[in-house]
Amino acid sequence: MKKIYTLFALVLVASMLLAACGAPAATPAPVATEAAAAATVAPADTAAPAEPTATTAAAAPATDDCKSPDLFCVGVVTDVGKIDDKSFNQSAWEGAKQAETDLGAKVQYIETTDAKDYDKNISTFGDANYDVIVTIGFALGEATAKAAATYPDIKFIGVDQFQDTTKPVPANLVGLVFPEDQAGFLVGALAAQMTKTKKIGGVFGTDAVPPVWRYGEGYKAGAAYIDPTVEVTAVYHNDVGFDKTFSDPEWGATTANGMIDKGVDVIFGGGGKTGNGAVIAAAQRNVYAIGVDSDQYFTLPEAQKMLLSSAMKLITPGVFDLIKMAKEGTFPSGNYVGQAGYAPYHDLDSVVPDAVKAKMQEIFKGLLDGSIKTGVSPAKP
Amino acid sequence: MEKKDLKEKFKALLVTVGDAVLVPLLAVFTAIIIGGIVIAIVGGDPFAAYKGLFQGAFGSVKALSETGVWATPYIFAGLAVSLAFKGGLFNIGAEGQLALGAVASAWVGYALPQMLGFDLPWFIHLPLAIGAGLLFGFIWGAIPGALKAYTGAHEVINTIMMNYIALNWVSYLLNGPMKDKNPLNVIARTPLIAESARIPPIFAGLRIHWGFVLAIVVAFIVWWVLWKTTFGFEIRTVGINPDAAKYAGINVKRIMTLTLGLSGMLAGLAGTVEVTALNYRHELGFSTGYGFDAIAIALLGKTHPAGVVLAAILFAAMRNGATRMQFLTQIPVDIISVIQALILLFVAADAIVRYIYRIRRSGGKVVLTRGWGG
Repeated sequence: MKKIYTLFALVLVASMLLAACGAPAATPAPVATEAAAAATVAPADTAAPAEPTATTAAAAPATDDCKSPDLFCVGVVTDVGKIDDKSFNQSAWEGAKQAETDLGAKVQYIETTDAKDYDKNISTFGDANYDVIVTIGFALGEATAKAAATYPDIKFIGVDQFQDTTKPVPANLVGLVFPEDQAGFLVGALAAQMTKTKKIGGVFGTDAVPPVWRYGEGYKAGAAYIDPTVEVTAVYHNDVGFDKTFSDPEWGATTANGMIDKGVDVIFGGGGKTGNGAVIAAAQRNVYAIGVDSDQYFTLPEAQKMLLSSAMKLITPGVFDLIKMAKEGTFPSGNYVGQAGYAPYHDLDSVVPDAVKAKMQEIFKGLLDGSIKTGVSPAKP
Repeated sequence: MEKKDLKEKFKALLVTVGDAVLVPLLAVFTAIIIGGIVIAIVGGDPFAAYKGLFQGAFGSVKALSETGVWATPYIFAGLAVSLAFKGGLFNIGAEGQLALGAVASAWVGYALPQMLGFDLPWFIHLPLAIGAGLLFGFIWGAIPGALKAYTGAHEVINTIMMNYIALNWVSYLLNGPMKDKNPLNVIARTPLIAESARIPPIFAGLRIHWGFVLAIVVAFIVWWVLWKTTFGFEIRTVGINPDAAKYAGINVKRIMTLTLGLSGMLAGLAGTVEVTALNYRHELGFSTGYGFDAIAIALLGKTHPAGVVLAAILFAAMRNGATRMQFLTQIPVDIISVIQALILLFVAADAIVRYIYRIRRSGGKVVLTRGWGG
């Protein structure tokens, strides 16, 4: 008998729940959605005050409708991982958030939990008629290219997705790539200024991968730019296959320790887990360490206290600039080279002399405006 | 008199259904309520979130198709774990069996025509690709099964160990010998498999594929084997009491090995279908733990094939609907993991559910009994 009652209660509650879900005009939901949307837009919405209050109220339901030409919508699809990963996903999302602030765009993100959802997540924005879709990471390259063909009116920004320009690239698709040589150059210059022994080191994955080559050679060039007498030991992990070169932290640590034994006092680690191994080993030996790609202060907590900086791909401004170009109708196609930079000094801020900080700013500007050239070839000759 | 018989029968049915269906249903229900509270705590609107979830899972033809796509590996893997449970074995190795099945199918799919130097017709190539996945899954399940049967080594430990071996082996293959040699490729993945090794979609323009139909058919076969054949009877007898089974003349060792082998085969099929019907290649990190979710699905489905199909569709709906939920409300998709974990908790510790819902009833118990008792 108890069970009968429970069953009835369950059916009753379930039907109420379904009714609430299914009813197209279920009042609580839309109200709440708009309230949430308003809350996110409110702090920096420049468009709202310009419009009369009446239209705002009327336009409120249209807030969700990206078909409207008045509403500029930007969707961000992450690689497998979280939006606040303190790395690529987060940086790209910050670029979109800037578009929300500066361009009055409506921005939304979808976090990918499984690689098979790439297509679906992109088309969720595509079917909602978003104006720009940003996809983050090389792994989404194929899905992005496919979606660019399916949705010719939508602009696609593929972060870190190098487009093969020997084949035709759709006009609505651009790969945001980065000058790794400039990032390497910056941290090379920093290392050359911070070394006391005049010996600096770099531990990299294989130089057969062009971005790794550009980091490594840029590092050497940056050090030489400051002081040609600084001895740079850069080792590429070429002695193993592709299966191991980026996932060999033990080798990275051993190589870094070997360099430190010979008097090297700054280590730059570039190449996935291999580089991370070198960075952590350096920090453990109380030697300055330099990370790669994103600000590794947040991704390698073990190395925080000795992490001088990181050679960074500046994804945030790159994403923002491309969104802006999409809005202004100057959207490029093919590959768009973003900016490189270096991460804040964090815990070591007080250790880095002001003169060095000033010099770094100067080099950063020089690389940006082209007055300083790294002289590094795009790939290993 | 007749009326009373009917009532007794109805009562008996209710007890059966109650035990099999009620607790899982209440577990899901309770988890959804608590999930809603969690959403409210983090500042979201639970109604908007669940509305988005429902729309994303069932709200359109495309949504239904994607739910089916998600459900397919869940059904196979859930059946794998269930079959082992029926034989009294705990297969935690589905994840590894699945990965090996996927990699074997991918290899047959892309490398075999190259090796032979000519294209194969689909009616030879596709069965070969699927067969390779079945074979590797079977081997990977049968090894811990045999170890259990002949040496007594516990299958929980060994299936976990075999996971590590399989996953690292697959990682090596995908990063090394089997990696897509395209110079622009930096990802650990195989080349695309040949057209002749692909399971086609059911409808053009949607991703739902015949693998989903196959999953339903396989669920039926598993049910039929378990309850309608001598072999199935032997599996269940060994599962309930190996000593009695031995006394009854069943070759317990052989059955144990076969049960885990077949379980592995079903898990391998999950990987195989993902490769041949959906991704057309194997890629490192393609499974976000289907083999482990499968344990939850098997438990939620009470290890019955029909229950597994339903539980798999529920889990698939949640995973699939999460995208739209996040799109509409920007609530973190992790909430889905929270709800799924709660479901598992309530199913595994069903005393909690029974306790919660008895408490609520206790007040009206007397009245009800009188009302229905006459």
